Amino acid sequence: MSDQDVKKIEVGDGAAIPSPDDKGLVSAWWIALIGTLILVIALPLVQPDPYLKILKFIPDGILITFQVTIMSILLAIVIGLLTGLGRISENRLINLAASLYVEVVRGIPLLVQLFYIYFALGRLVRVPDIVAAVVAMAVCYGAYMGEVIRAGIKSIDFGQTEASLSLGFNRRQTMAYVILPQAWRTILPPVGNEFIALLKDTSLVSILAVSDILRRGREFAAESFNYFETYTMIALIYLLITLILSKLISIMEHRLSHYERR
Amino acid sequence: MNAADPIIRIEDVTKYFGSFKALDRVNLEVAAGEKVVVLGPSGSGKSTLLRTINQLETINSGSIYIDGRDIASPEEDINQVRMELGMVFQSFNLFRHKSVLENLTLAPIKLKKMARDRAEELGLSLLDKVGLRDRAHHYPIQLSGGQQQRVAIARALAMEPKIMLFDEPTSALDPEMINEVLEVMVTLAREGMTMVVVTHEMGFAREVADQVVFMDEGAIVEMAPPEVFFENPEHPRSQAFLQQIL
Ligand SMILES: Nc1ncnc2c1ncn2[C@@H]1O[C@H](COP(=O)(O)OP(=O)(O)OP(=O)(O)O)[C@@H](O)[C@H]1O
Ligand SMILES: [Mg+2]
Repeated sequence: MSDQDVKKIEVGDGAAIPSPDDKGLVSAWWIALIGTLILVIALPLVQPDPYLKILKFIPDGILITFQVTIMSILLAIVIGLLTGLGRISENRLINLAASLYVEVVRGIPLLVQLFYIYFALGRLVRVPDIVAAVVAMAVCYGAYMGEVIRAGIKSIDFGQTEASLSLGFNRRQTMAYVILPQAWRTILPPVGNEFIALLKDTSLVSILAVSDILRRGREFAAESFNYFETYTMIALIYLLITLILSKLISIMEHRLSHYERR
Repeated sequence: MNAADPIIRIEDVTKYFGSFKALDRVNLEVAAGEKVVVLGPSGSGKSTLLRTINQLETINSGSIYIDGRDIASPEEDINQVRMELGMVFQSFNLFRHKSVLENLTLAPIKLKKMARDRAEELGLSLLDKVGLRDRAHHYPIQLSGGQQQRVAIARALAMEPKIMLFDEPTSALDPEMINEVLEVMVTLAREGMTMVVVTHEMGFAREVADQVVFMDEGAIVEMAPPEVFFENPEHPRSQAFLQQIL
């Protein structure tokens, strides 16, 4: 029978999502989680000044970090969908534009892009800092997302397209009813990876006057001079968030492959 | 259009893949209700010919008329034409994310704006016909190859096409599943469907075909009713081909 398994897409950086079969990573995950939890709870108890103060000061930043991450990933998915479709388009011009965008974005460091878009956007329109930050993150991640989506679409057997066309569907309908509904199962896991990578990269927006976790920490440290303690706490918080997220995504991915085999 | 006009008319069709000539000035007419079986060695252009009929392959020169419409012309909406042409593939190509019934109802609902109830009714009656009504809510992956191919036939029929194209529908099947698919095709033929079938099933060709078309190197070498083709093939290539497979 021709039931090829869903192909996995390899995308570079991003947090490693523990596969349920990878015993090494799974046990490392537990050790890291428990260790982090113990430190996050124990440090403020043992040494309330400054750890408890830090812990009270940062949560506003966590909210901002999540806001920026979620808005950026959503916008990046939209950009990625357009880019991915553009990259497989038969229209030369659209194809070239999409490829050019991917090349340019991949060739410039994120931090430089962030500054660039932030200040370029600032020249054109007055938008809140957080919006500029989101746009900058999304423009960057949209290129990677585009590659993920393109790979997802390409992973679907061309016979599906031919069957759809032969019924009378046009290319757009074929994409909407036949290809994308199958491709998302391949696309979603790497999107989960990108989500975690993006969350970590949002720490860069602290430079743009956006009060995320890192910026809140820097503000605290600048006043209290507790640099070491503050950055310890910040690192632990990021670690806790990404550990939990990677687990959630791994569970989701597992469910998805289950669903595939129902 | 005259009633006696062929429903498919292929005129001087030539098709290149790069510099390779896959179809070489092919002419073929198929009357409404006629069953044509296409035979020929591997690489002779059988699939290519079949796929030009619904424009899954474009042609370089010549013309193809379906029901009098020149389908290769840019003015024709190919999607409209395709709705009247059902196609069955060697590899089934069922939509893997849809249940069996949904595979059948998707196109009628989206393309013909058929009401869901009506489409499901139609779908279930077609599943009855191919003997798979009890599998309506299964997914393709849960079916055997023979069952998948029968669903694929039903899916094509759900658009109520005038013509059915089959590209080696049993070649990917285990031997014990071939007959269940051929039986469905024979039934369809008896009901008067116009059919163009690429196959290596000689029994089916003998039983069902009105005309056998023999292709070699992108050209139609011989065309004859099965009695004539199988008993007295004219062309040396046909003779060699038949000797090899019989
Ligand atoms: N997309 C393509 N690109 C390039 N060459 C192709 C393509 N499709 C078919 N061909 C070539 O055209 C020729 C005819 O192919 P076709 O698939 O029509 O043969 P066939 O008679 O159906 O053979 P088989 O019995 O193996 O299915 C072959 O030589 C094949 O390699
Ligand atoms: Mg073939």
